[in-house]
Amino acid sequence: MTSSLFIDIGSYQVQKSGEDCFGDTIYAKKIPEEQRIIGILSDGLGSGVKANILSSMTTRMAMKFMEDNTELQRASETMMDALPICQVRKISYATFSIVDSELEGKTRIFEMDNPRYIFIRNNRLFDIKGREFSSPKWKDRKICVSQVNNLPEDRIIVMSDGVTQAGIGNKKYPLGWGRQGCIDFILKTLRQDPYISSSALAEKIVNEALSKENGAKAGDDISCMCLYFRNPRKLLIVTGPPFNEDKDREISEMVANYDGKIAVCGGTTANIIERELCLKCEIDKTSFDTKIPMASKMEGVDLVTEGILTLTDAYRMLKEGIDKNSNTASVRLVKLFLGSDRIDFVVGTKINVAHQDPNLPMELEIRRNIVKKIFRLLQSQYLKEISVRYL
Amino acid sequence: MEKIKVKICCGTSCFVMGAAQIQVLEFDPPADIKDKIEIEESRCMNYCHNTAAKYNRGPFVEVNGELIEEANFEKVVNKIREILDGTKD
Ligand code: FES
Repeated sequence: MTSSLFIDIGSYQVQKSGEDCFGDTIYAKKIPEEQRIIGILSDGLGSGVKANILSSMTTRMAMKFMEDNTELQRASETMMDALPICQVRKISYATFSIVDSELEGKTRIFEMDNPRYIFIRNNRLFDIKGREFSSPKWKDRKICVSQVNNLPEDRIIVMSDGVTQAGIGNKKYPLGWGRQGCIDFILKTLRQDPYISSSALAEKIVNEALSKENGAKAGDDISCMCLYFRNPRKLLIVTGPPFNEDKDREISEMVANYDGKIAVCGGTTANIIERELCLKCEIDKTSFDTKIPMASKMEGVDLVTEGILTLTDAYRMLKEGIDKNSNTASVRLVKLFLGSDRIDFVVGTKINVAHQDPNLPMELEIRRNIVKKIFRLLQSQYLKEISVRYL
Repeated sequence: MEKIKVKICCGTSCFVMGAAQIQVLEFDPPADIKDKIEIEESRCMNYCHNTAAKYNRGPFVEVNGELIEEANFEKVVNKIREILDGTKD
């Protein structure tokens, strides 16, 4: 059995030009207890508010059924019964694509009337035979189910027909950009940037589709959701000296043996590791800034920074967005956070007496508190896997 | 002549007490001392922890090994000039 994969899920949408809300809905959810991720994209009939209601109803219902593992026929019938029927076309109308992935690797995809999903393996289109199925009650609606065991570096891309039909009626794209056009574009993008994140890929696809439209105005809602399966990118954050000095060795060994990237946040912590592992640690003057102490370089460690000020500033950027055109230690730290899937924090709990000095011109956060704020945010907002150990 | 060694602490406490202003020495030093100094930034030099010795008054800078407490740009530059003057005669 392959060890558990990490799934990077991301999406991007633009709404039909002139409408005030999205007609397509994308909804993704992690179920940590089951090591499972469910992503749903639904396209409501028409556009604007009506479509928005149809597609949000569809995604919410579908999510509930998926979470409860309701049998497919019952689930789809209930959904079709519940959706209002279109006056013109006499069908209850909202399409969907559902991707249901387990971190162990098994993925099932359910689709109704959306453009067929795109599956990329080894930088090529990988065709998976699906099984079609319809309910006796709604004979003209077909659901296609496919199943695959994922490998690292697989990607699944689902989209609304706004993507494949982009530019329809143009001289250049009389039939629209098409699924093939989209596939070619994805392959080209992946050749240039093989490790691109899902959200960046989704944004590129949607913007490319938009560029096919007349005057780059969306003639329909254009939405895309991507999943990227990979071995987790790991990051170890070591911050703070341990409460007991006899743990100094333990912390240093964790650094020496870690199989991923490493950041050390704290001067004293860096001193401990420098001493225990006999490494040389030198200030890196390219990170000079008047608000954040400079970073240092240490062999085998990806980043060494000062502690509290840098962490506090990193937290600010995680909330407000990363500072552009800056190379401070905290910007580098945030970039490491964002580029990782799994982050292991090792937090030393020794209190720094100097930080409690009332003469300091500003109040310094307690290390444990700022670390807690950071990892909560990384978990809830950035969907990172986090572990924390206090020493 | 050997350069004067200036070691600036950039640990958390010293930094918030104003060490960043002293770092200007590195990037934009006064002309007269420009080629005569060698700057080294250091992580916490442990003076701030030494509460028993009442050393909780950063920023701390060492000029040729001599400790300056509550250092600022002027204090450090004056110290450097003092040493330079001393070596002249
Ligand atoms: S921070 Fe400068 S001596 Fe501790």
